[in-house]
This record gives sequence, structure tokens and C-alpha cells, in this order.
Amino acid sequence: MTRFVENSIVFPYKRSLGPVIGAFMTGLTEQRILGIRSGDQVIVPPLEWDPQTGAELDPDGMVEVGPAGTVESWTWVPAPSEQHPLGHPFAFAFIRLDGASTPLLHAVDTGAPDALRVGARVAPRWRGSRVGHIGDIIAFVPGEQPEVDGPDSGPAEAPVTMMDYNASITYRNPVPPVLDRLREASRDQRIIGQRCPVCERVYSGGRGYCPIDAVELGEEQDVDLPHTGTITNFTIVTPVQYPGQTETEPFARVFVLLDGTDVILPYQPVVELPVGEVRVGKRVAAAWAPPNDDIDDAGAMGGAYGHLIGWIPSGEPDVEDPDLVNRIF
Amino acid sequence: MSTEPAAIVGVGQTHHKSRRHDVSFGGLVREAAFRALDDAHMTFADIDAVVIGKAPDLFEGVMKPELYLSDALGAVGKPMFRVHTAGSVGGTTAIVAASHVQARKHERVLAVAFEKQSEGNAQFALGSGRGASLGAGGAFAPFIRAYIERSGAPEHIGWKVAVKDRQNALKNPYAHLRIPDISIEKVKESPMMWEPLRYLESCPSSDGACAVVLTNEAGGTAAAADGRPPAWIIGASSRSEPPSFPGRDPVRPAACVQAAWDVYEQAGITNPRQQIDMAELYVPFSWHEAIWLEGHDIAAAGEGWRMIDDDETALTGSFPVNASGGVLSSNPIGASGLLRFAEAANQVRGAAGEHQVAGAKVALAMAYGANSQYFSTWVVASSLQPFD
Repeated sequence: MTRFVENSIVFPYKRSLGPVIGAFMTGLTEQRILGIRSGDQVIVPPLEWDPQTGAELDPDGMVEVGPAGTVESWTWVPAPSEQHPLGHPFAFAFIRLDGASTPLLHAVDTGAPDALRVGARVAPRWRGSRVGHIGDIIAFVPGEQPEVDGPDSGPAEAPVTMMDYNASITYRNPVPPVLDRLREASRDQRIIGQRCPVCERVYSGGRGYCPIDAVELGEEQDVDLPHTGTITNFTIVTPVQYPGQTETEPFARVFVLLDGTDVILPYQPVVELPVGEVRVGKRVAAAWAPPNDDIDDAGAMGGAYGHLIGWIPSGEPDVEDPDLVNRIF
Repeated sequence: MSTEPAAIVGVGQTHHKSRRHDVSFGGLVREAAFRALDDAHMTFADIDAVVIGKAPDLFEGVMKPELYLSDALGAVGKPMFRVHTAGSVGGTTAIVAASHVQARKHERVLAVAFEKQSEGNAQFALGSGRGASLGAGGAFAPFIRAYIERSGAPEHIGWKVAVKDRQNALKNPYAHLRIPDISIEKVKESPMMWEPLRYLESCPSSDGACAVVLTNEAGGTAAAADGRPPAWIIGASSRSEPPSFPGRDPVRPAACVQAAWDVYEQAGITNPRQQIDMAELYVPFSWHEAIWLEGHDIAAAGEGWRMIDDDETALTGSFPVNASGGVLSSNPIGASGLLRFAEAANQVRGAAGEHQVAGAKVALAMAYGANSQYFSTWVVASSLQPFD
């Protein structure tokens, strides 16, 4: 049965809002909702250009709308997820704010769906502390009068031009069976490769197919590989800092051609091999984690896996072969 | 039935910078689009279809931005296409746009490509959101080491390209990096980032956009009659190959060579070194200039570095490369490929300004992407039959 692993990608993006959305966000901190004129229409939320013609809209033509409005359509969210604006059941609604020609999509908090209907009048419930984000309106609530939740910390000190967007997405990825076999074998300090039944090339790294003959390589093609090989090429990376970066010092990633195999293991970590001593032709041997250590479960292609944590100098003399550097795949 | 000749009648780009905090995505692409439309004496209303390209969405964290940019680009009610070929995408965007004209599906097509790198982080995105990202430099360093070992090129070749492209950038008002005192010493003393690549041998991270307006033969002829010379596409091709297989050669990728010769065959080029006047090649790291000179058979295998050493690829040399300053000077990733294609077009239109190559009539542009596996190439000329 296929095993799945979860992978989350999280990143704090920084949006620049431009003159129109920036003014809209600044308005929110002032408890004002702004639209923009386009002909005889007032578009809310405002756009920088006319959505039909693409014509530039004048930021000086921004006008305040609402604060109250009328529900034009809605849908109930009975079980909100972490990414929904409210933690309890609520409605997403199209709200035509007074003075607007287009509806605004936002949350309406009525407690129960039977309290909501098309034509209902709603007004914003503002957050006390506002940053210039659509979430400065917690939700719309029944009635004509806006509310402020908690102490009011007032408008932004300077015009809002940027917005933080903390993205988070979780993927559930299937682990190819061959990678699970490699990982399991690594517990016993074995390295599994696969021999193509057509061309007889021996693949390291758990590829699961022969790209030359386009045949799938299953368990019956598994072979035990030697634990020694040669560095054919390498990269030494000066880490640039970014959210999620794990490295602070230059680190090496090497291509290892295991003895008796036909493809390299790409971008492998090294152990007890200073970056200054990494070179083409250097002989290395597998380095193993202690048997009881937790092992990497990610099932990623490339890099070391399971109890195989990287490559350590074997102490053998270098291989002198001018063609070695070309062994990149 | 032969294909319809396609011409570039408008080119526009933004001033490329580290951060364009003053504009939204829409504002950024519109800046380039309006400049291209103005150049073409057109408005959105004249355009039949829009093709848009950018690098993977993880760079800015906006999924399918083309959906929201269709309004910004006046594409409501018109066909709009998004192209995905990683770093080569700008070039592929131009080729897809041209194919709509060549197939006689549309008469006037707007191609736009952009990146707003300041909204995210390229190292993060290239590392699939994990730690220990290799980045593009880390991934390509082994390929470059193989080139250097194989060709026996001296190490100063990379430094020379880094200096030449930054000197060219000083003549391009849109270029991002402006380093007036750039020198060999400065490059070789800059920090080693991904051995053998130094900091100043690497491309910057830029916010920017580029746009071109393509039209059919009648449109190109009309522009010419109006005193606005078009650039004629006399060959265009895209090729790709898998990221890894035994025997794959990233120093001379088969997809690169095949795309080049497909284009040469269409254009009637049998001797690229003699028949092409200049090239805009996708060179994010200095050594790629030598690698792609060879990949396009402008120089023999192992000999591309000699053209650099002899200053033949300088602005005043016999075969100028990246007169605009290239990717080494401006890198809004998604737009970087289209910038190559647009700059080549401007050269044969005689519209390149201070970085104009004197007498350029035939120009080559290429872009590559991902693990050096996607290639897009075109040759543009000042007339449809430049070799008659």
C-alpha cells in the first residue's frame, strides 16, 4: 500500500499594493471602505484598471462607501478550517455596500444560517488594532451600525503600501515503493540499487525506472551496491539566508559514482570532509547514522536517505581520470 | 501551406530594479505592456490575444496570477495563455505568441513576461521551500566546472564576461545593475558563492517586466511603410530534454543544439558565426556565454572561451553578445528570456539606442530553464530574406 508523507511549504511573502489597493488598505485602518469611480460605476474593492476595458482608473476618483450594505448572495460555512476568517460557523456573502456598484466578498457573522437572508442589512465589525488588511474587518454583522472589537488603536501612522502574506500549504505526497525499500535497507546499512533488465545499467538512488529503455524497475531488479565510490563533481554553496534556511556556513554537495554503477548519486552531503578538501576523484565511503536514530521520512529523491547520512573519505588514493568531471548524471 | 510571416512591431520593458515597491503585479506588467503598445502605435483594443509567462508561482506565492492579470492586460473576452517553462519561459512566451500569428489564428498578439522577485525569495523557491537550497548557482556550478575542465579555459574568462556585460549595461537605461567602476579586479575579488562562480559572476534578483507586440506580414509591412522598422522572425524553436539520464551532457545539451539547428534551418543559416550579427544569450552566470556560443555552433566545441578572450563578443567586437547587459545585469526571471528576444528584435530594428550594434541585421536570442533542459531560440532579421 502506498505510504504518504506530509510536506508543508511556509513562506512570508511581501506584497507591494500599488496606489489604489494601498489607498484601500490605508482606508481600512481609518475604518473607511473605499471604492473607485469608473464611469458611473463605483467599484468595491477598488481596482487599478477598468475590468472591462483595461483603462487606467484615477486614484483621485476614490470614494467612501458603506459602512452598511445589503447581502446579495451568501453561502454558509458550517465547519471552518484554520484558513477561514472565523473560527466558528459563518457565511461568505456578497455585500453591496451603500454607494457601491459591485458587491464586496466578506464574512458575515450571524451565528446561525436561519438568521441570514438575501436583502439582509449588515455593517462591519472592525478589529480594534488595524494593519491595512482585508482582515481589519473581522466580519459583517446584522444591522446598520459599525462596531469596533476591543480598544481602538486608531489609523495607521503612515500610508499602507505593503502587505505581509504568510503562505502555508501542506502537500500529502506518495512515497514511491522503491524509496521505501532503500530507506528500510539503510537500517541494515545496505545500499540498494536497480539493474535495468534491458540495458543492464545499474542505477543508484532509487530511480524506479530506466530512462533509456523506459521500463519500470521493480523489487525484482533490486541489487545490493558497494559502499564505496568516487566524487565526480561537486558544488560548494554559500548559503543565502531566507525563512526556512537551515545552513549558515558554506556546505558541499557532491556527486558520488558508486563502484560498479552507471549513474551518479546527485548532490550528496559529506561527513568529516572539510569543503576545502572536496575534489574530483576523491574516494569516499558511506557514512551511517547509529541504528536507533530516527530517520528522515521525507522520501525525497536526491540527497542521502534513511540511515545513510552522507559520504566520508575512504582513505584510498584519488582516482585520476580526466573524464570523471563529466559524470554529472 | 506555408506559415504566415510574423513581425515584432512593438517592444517595451520596465526599468529593472531590486524592488518595485511602488507597483502591484498589475502595475508592473502594464508598464511594459503600454510601452510596447505605444511603440507599436496600438492600444489594448487592437490586440487579439495575450500570452503571458513567468517563473513558477512559488516565487511570489500567487497561484495562476494570469487569471487576475487578464483584466490588467485588457484581455477580457480575448484568448489568454499562460506559458510555463521555468527560466526559459520568457523566450517560450514569445514563441507561443509568434505561433498564433504564424498559424494565422490571430493577427496581433501581445506577449508579456514578468517577475517580482522582491515579493519572495528565489533561493527559497528554487529549494522547493526547504533549507539548504542549492540555488541556481549551486545547481549549475558542476556543469561549469565540467566546461572549464573539458575546454581548458583559463579562469579569467568568467571574469571578462562579468565585466563586459556590466559595461554594456551602463549603455542600457533599463538595466538593473549599474557598476561604473566594474573591473576584472573587482570581479575576482568578489566573494566565492558557488565555486567556481563568484558573486559578480552571478545575476541579480530583479523586479521587472517585458512586452512585445507581434503581428502578421501585413502589419509588419504597414509598420515599415510608416517608418517604424519591424523585426521579422525568420526562425523559432523550443526543445526540451529530461532533467537527468545516463549520458546527458549539460555542457552541450542536445535540446540546445537541436533548437539552434531547427531555427537555422528555418532561417536559411548554414554558417551561424558569419550570418548572424549579434546574439542575446541567456547568461545568468558568466561562463554560460562560452557554453552557449558552443551550444549554438557559433564557436567550435571547446573554443567558445577564445571568442571571449579575444574580445570578439564585446559591443564593438565581431560577434557582440548581450549588448543589453544581459541576465547578468537584469534578472526578472520570467521576463529574462523575453528580454533576450526583445533586445534582439530592437537590434535589427535599429532601436537599441546606445547599445545598438552597428549594422545589425540578423540577431539570435535564446533562453534556457530548469536543470538546463528547456531551450527556446529565435532568429530575427531586418527583412524576411536577409541572405538574398
